[in-house]
Amino acid sequence: MLKAACIIASKDIRLVMVRGGAWVQSLLLGLLLVFVFSLSLPAGETASPQTAATLFWLASAFCQVLAFAMLYALEEPTNARAGLMLAPIPVQAVWLGKAMAGMGLILASQAVFFPALVVFLGQHVSGGVWFFLAGLLLADAGMAGLGALVGAVAPGQAARESLLSVIVFPLLIPLLLAGIRLGEAAFGGPPAGLFRWLGIAAAFDAVFLGAAVLLFPFVFGEPQ
Amino acid sequence: MKSFACFCAVAVSAVLLVICQIAVITLTPVEAVMGPVQKIFYVHLPLAWWSLVSFGVTATAGLVYLKRRDAASDRLAHAAAETGLVLNTLALVTGSIWARRSWGVWWTWDPRLTTALVLWFLYAGYLVLRRVDMPAPRRSAACAVMGILAFIDVPLVFLSARLWRSIHPAVFASKGGGLEPEMLTGVLLSVGAFGVFWLLLLYWRTRIFTLSDELDRKKAQCTDNR
Repeated sequence: MLKAACIIASKDIRLVMVRGGAWVQSLLLGLLLVFVFSLSLPAGETASPQTAATLFWLASAFCQVLAFAMLYALEEPTNARAGLMLAPIPVQAVWLGKAMAGMGLILASQAVFFPALVVFLGQHVSGGVWFFLAGLLLADAGMAGLGALVGAVAPGQAARESLLSVIVFPLLIPLLLAGIRLGEAAFGGPPAGLFRWLGIAAAFDAVFLGAAVLLFPFVFGEPQ
Repeated sequence: MKSFACFCAVAVSAVLLVICQIAVITLTPVEAVMGPVQKIFYVHLPLAWWSLVSFGVTATAGLVYLKRRDAASDRLAHAAAETGLVLNTLALVTGSIWARRSWGVWWTWDPRLTTALVLWFLYAGYLVLRRVDMPAPRRSAACAVMGILAFIDVPLVFLSARLWRSIHPAVFASKGGGLEPEMLTGVLLSVGAFGVFWLLLLYWRTRIFTLSDELDRKKAQCTDNR
């Protein structure tokens, strides 16, 4: 299953990189979000660590929605979804492949958003970096797993990005709160209770990744 | 016979609601700090609880639908989500009135308030998904999955919101907070009366969906015969 998932993920990443446009859109959207917010700060002032972390995860959440809408749209023009459904692999391999590709795209986008926060919002990385990195991996895994599950609901829909946003954002709230608290610590916020936030992120991953493995065949297996 | 049974059910529900309101006004004491406004609690609490039960029914019916693929479970899940969303909206409104009087603000960050609002967004999203133009079996399966995901998210939302910060009163706490015996009687009466009302709403909404599906099927038959 892992081999099939890796093949699907690498196929998706290559297609996204070749076509490029949609991923660049999500990058630009995140960067614009950070830049436009920076205009609200009075000259010479910096944003609080909590605000910076919130913007980071907001940009990541938008990126997640666009990434998974894009990943499932790759199969639409040639109806390759039927090919994936008929392939002699467990259907969960498709979910895992999409999740891996999506996580790669989200991580790559975050590698751009993070320096943008430092530059535009005047942040300094001053501690809690390991918590931030652990939180980043856990939150990204949760976002990717959930995005790969819910993304399969929307293919073929005209307004799939807005539909995905409406469905995914409320589900992500515990993960986003954990990400914000752990990100805040990296920007010099209070270090209290960080292990508990890591616990919430890990619990979210355990619950939703497990649910996704069980439920994905029901959303992907149905005819469009 | 069926319409007589319906009339009886409505009458029982109405009588129970009236009795419950009379009990709340006459039997329960006026709270010392908040005054009569506190009585909104006897409406707010049952609304919040039954909305949560409704969402639980949506998730359970969704599971049954995924296992059996029967239209009845799908209709029940849809009806429960709609009913739950209405009750949840009313719980949010009454909670907001309470918050204004008790804490001086219409809204504040609190685990229960936040969880209720997140639930509102989740099930509003669920109903948006219900309206999406896609083949019926695919839409039903997607909605069943969404109903399950939304419900399993509730404890995580509550925990994370509590960790953020909390000021909600402890209603049935083992230490601190709690209710006077007369208040507890009022609460139990309200929960019971609203429970019957909720059951009636759920039954009717499910019945309307059943009749609507039947009508669509007959329309399709007529078109085929032509």
